Amino acid sequence: MKVSVVSRSGREVVKGGIELKDSAKVADLQEAIHAKTKKYYPARQRLTLPAQPGKSGKPVVLSQKASLSEYCEKGSGSLTVVFKDLGPQVYYSTLFFWEYVGPLIIYPIFYYLPVYKYFGYEGERVIHPVQTYAMYYFCFHYFKRIMETFFVHRFSHATSPVSNVFRNCAYYWTFGAYIAYYCNHPLYTPVSDLQMKIGFGIGVVCQIANFYCHILLRNLRSPTGSGGYQIPRGFLFNIVTCANYTTEIYQWLGFNIATQTVAGYVFLAVAAAIMTNWALGKHSRLRKLFDGKDGQPKYPRRWVILPPFL
Amino acid sequence: AAETMAAVKRAYLAVYNWAVFFGWAQVLYFAVDALLRSGHEGVYAAVERPLQLAQTAAVLEILHGLVGLVRSPVSATLPQIGSRLFVTWGILWSFPETRTHILVSSLVISWSITEIIRYSFFGTKELFGSAPSSLLWLRYSSFLVMYPTGISSEVGLIYIALQFIKASEKYCIRMPNKWNYSFDYFYASILVLLVYVPGSPHMYTYMLGQRKKKIKSMFLFGTSCV
Repeated sequence: MKVSVVSRSGREVVKGGIELKDSAKVADLQEAIHAKTKKYYPARQRLTLPAQPGKSGKPVVLSQKASLSEYCEKGSGSLTVVFKDLGPQVYYSTLFFWEYVGPLIIYPIFYYLPVYKYFGYEGERVIHPVQTYAMYYFCFHYFKRIMETFFVHRFSHATSPVSNVFRNCAYYWTFGAYIAYYCNHPLYTPVSDLQMKIGFGIGVVCQIANFYCHILLRNLRSPTGSGGYQIPRGFLFNIVTCANYTTEIYQWLGFNIATQTVAGYVFLAVAAAIMTNWALGKHSRLRKLFDGKDGQPKYPRRWVILPPFL
Repeated sequence: AAETMAAVKRAYLAVYNWAVFFGWAQVLYFAVDALLRSGHEGVYAAVERPLQLAQTAAVLEILHGLVGLVRSPVSATLPQIGSRLFVTWGILWSFPETRTHILVSSLVISWSITEIIRYSFFGTKELFGSAPSSLLWLRYSSFLVMYPTGISSEVGLIYIALQFIKASEKYCIRMPNKWNYSFDYFYASILVLLVYVPGSPHMYTYMLGQRKKKIKSMFLFGTSCV
């Protein structure tokens, strides 16, 4: 079959189009486009069907594993796809590594090195026990995230635009430094011993729960990554859709109860807002997909992210 | 019911825009009057109340954008209103030493001219359904001069205020305290100055883009009303 590849403005991206076997898959088309254009490797390609005049709504994105014939206009042996360049891409694992390694290195810098003298605080610094535990806790958290990135998570769309590296690293590294600055400050005021223990206790329990959530999510996807969405089940997922975000938020709450800094709470608020945004999207996608029709199970009634609020 | 909703919306926006227009007209009048009568040192004292009122009322516009009453994206209105409120309250009101500077005159005149045009444009649209092309042209052209003069005045005044900010320790929170927090208004102001570096081109190019769109459609549709 003949596939013509055009840009959103109508210009031909591959002159003369591409000839493929009728049984070819979308992935084969992507390889062919890459071969012809050299610089657009498959991860950079976003292929959609042309918008139907009169029909609104989101354009249909070609699924990599599908057969091209599924998208062909009925009867004809040809297909037009609209190409968009997503820009240079990086693997999610690369992106996550760079995001998380920042705080892992930055926090200990504030703990171990005499940085406060450059902020005008001379002299010896008394280190409270809570500050030491906080350092181990914080660093363990980001170490755990890196380990999960490489050994636990199974990624659906394997890449992300390079620009996200700068944006995400700015977010994590800046907040990491902001929190580290206050937690290790020479004039830091610790909370009571009991409050510290409660805080870290909550934090550790939630991190373990969070890890278990990640294991459960991983098992929803097959190793070849061929699964679509599945209804998450087991453990906290039975009552809340995004239990992994829930445990993450409560884990940071524990850290903040133990360390009590405005910086930490600001980070908690922003992170919770971002995760809530994601959770609302995921919850609504799952409910739309699992609507109880055509043999699909109906998505059970669950909290979205933070019982009893949402 | 949808139609009464739309009519109420329009009435509210018409009243809002013309009320704030009137506030800024006052600001311009008092400013020019003071300039001619006593010179630039007296401008702030003459405009203080209407300026604070008209500028602070603009906070409503963020709300309007958030609830969808108007189309302007929050990303364009928030930095503009943020910087205006910072200069109005955080610099001029908080540090009287800055009030007699000549940049206050350029600031107040740039702001008031821009706002008079802007609010009368939107006020006319809400009241009559469209605005004359002359007003449209003014609205999407005056910024070409007023943004540079206004932004330079803002940046200049913040810079001048820095020495007074540092000396006064105003709005500063120092450690130790039980929430382990600190805030240094001097460094925060420097941060604001740094934000102007990417912020000003962002605002200017946004308006340039708007200008292209609006003036193009003015010619395309060939009418004198838009």
